[in-house]
Amino acid sequence: MAVIEVKNISKTFKVKLKEKGLKGSFKSIIKPKYKKVQAVKNVSFNIDKGEMVAFIGPNGAGKSTTIKMITSILYPDKGKISVLGLNPEKDRKKLAYEIGTVFGQKEQLWTHLTPYDNFKFFGAIYDIPEYKIEKKIKELKELFELDEFINTPVRNLSLGQRIRCEIVASLIHEPKILFLDEPTIGLDPVVKENIRTLIKRMNKEYKTTVFLTSHDVSDIEKLCKRVIIINNGSLVLDDTMENLKYHYLNKKIVEAKMKEKVNLDGEDGLTILKDRGYNIKIEVDTTKKSVSDAIKLLNPDNIIDINISNIPLENIISSIYKDGDTK
Amino acid sequence: MLMAVKNQIKVSFLSIKYALLREMLNKTTFITNIIFMILNNASFIIQWIILYSLQGNVGGYTFDQVLLLWGLAAGTYGVSRFFFQKAFSLSDTINNGKLDAYLVQPKNVLLSVITSEVQVSAIGDILYAYIMLLIYGFTIPRFILFTIFCLGGGIMLTSISIILSSLSFWFQKTDIVADTGNSLMTNFATYPDGIFKGLVKILLFTLIPVGIINYIPVHILSEFSLGLSLIFILVTILLTGLAILVFYKGLKRYSSSNLMTARI
Repeated sequence: MAVIEVKNISKTFKVKLKEKGLKGSFKSIIKPKYKKVQAVKNVSFNIDKGEMVAFIGPNGAGKSTTIKMITSILYPDKGKISVLGLNPEKDRKKLAYEIGTVFGQKEQLWTHLTPYDNFKFFGAIYDIPEYKIEKKIKELKELFELDEFINTPVRNLSLGQRIRCEIVASLIHEPKILFLDEPTIGLDPVVKENIRTLIKRMNKEYKTTVFLTSHDVSDIEKLCKRVIIINNGSLVLDDTMENLKYHYLNKKIVEAKMKEKVNLDGEDGLTILKDRGYNIKIEVDTTKKSVSDAIKLLNPDNIIDINISNIPLENIISSIYKDGDTK
Repeated sequence: MLMAVKNQIKVSFLSIKYALLREMLNKTTFITNIIFMILNNASFIIQWIILYSLQGNVGGYTFDQVLLLWGLAAGTYGVSRFFFQKAFSLSDTINNGKLDAYLVQPKNVLLSVITSEVQVSAIGDILYAYIMLLIYGFTIPRFILFTIFCLGGGIMLTSISIILSSLSFWFQKTDIVADTGNSLMTNFATYPDGIFKGLVKILLFTLIPVGIINYIPVHILSEFSLGLSLIFILVTILLTGLAILVFYKGLKRYSSSNLMTARI
């Protein structure tokens, strides 16, 4: 059952143009010129209950605008959005009770208060009775391991601890859908991993649908089974992570340490990425040449060590972004 | 519906409480801010003492009435800046896309925003207002009326700032317009209305409604008038309604932003 239904939504912003210098400033006062920027063009997708979906794209692709339209911060110019059967444009308050949002770049907590006081404040915002809020705080405190710092003012917490508290604050009212916009921005790898584990645990425990945006490929790879890519305001891909990884680009990376030098120049389906004499790194296009053929070309008797790996997801995504730019 | 209103009021007061706690982090600054505001307001009375030693009547006001006028000016200003401080920097909030956090909460956006900050020195203004009432002459009915006028006037000052700040939804750099408008409201608030004539007087009871916020309450507190009281209530309702209308009309044009921000 789809909990988010987005049908052909578009959003255009009017941006004032200004010529350079003081003269340009005067000109723009007398005769202002505007440019229309289409941030989102005809975007459609559905998200089912309990799914963890990555919504990604380069900066300025229209990700934030789309999320803001789904969460009723902005209104679409065209198209229709339905979240849990509600229209974000008309049912802002009703929808707010059902969704949670964490914007990694925008803090929602009061920094001079302790996480506990903040959670109580959020409890009041969502009209949760006192006894219930205490129970919920206790439950989330354990799930997100906040025991050590739940009574320390937020301003004295590390960034990782803060993000954990931000997520808990957004879960206090048991939302059915959680929007995470760059939740691991600025965090070190260990803390990132910890946050990912906690998000996974939350999804498993509460069956919360997670809508995630991130520039960190590991976030996407480790958390989501489905990925939606947006570029220049348009949807360029909506597929499972598995398909994206193994079918979208049929390429493998072969790294080999050789006894003797080999020359693979001009071989169809092979791209030499690095050639340092006895060490070679090649990319094999499996639609043109199989990996075993590639190894045969290297001569198995000549190989000391070999490593065959998939193209890093990061490269796949970058190439999709670039394809979108050239279209 | 009644429950929703009750919950909204609870959240607004909680927000004011937390904003106050933030300001109380540094006790010395907190207390000096309040004391200096009282002293600052009191210093202006000296010039009125000198003026009244030269002549017994200025613009139809006795010295006691001037004290009452100062009390009302400080009281209305104090109420607006203590309870609804963010209404006076609303342009910045709109321009920098800081409404997002409030839009995803199931509460009234406008009320949630304007109650998210307090101005500590406004406590000094409110205290000063009641000191002036004490000097003028304290009675229970006068205290009740004075409180109603401070609250109503504070709401009107807030409404005017919301209307002017909401222009930011349509135009850029309207914070200057809002600041000028807010300054005009305080600049005229401490002079007896009798000194203003003609067009200025009309302006003071229409476009810059200092007359309604400050002068009418002085007249009612000096000599009760049902008609003037009704005008005060009516204009409070009208201005509040207009502020809500303009803000929500503008909110449809809100374009947000991706600035990095923190609630500090």
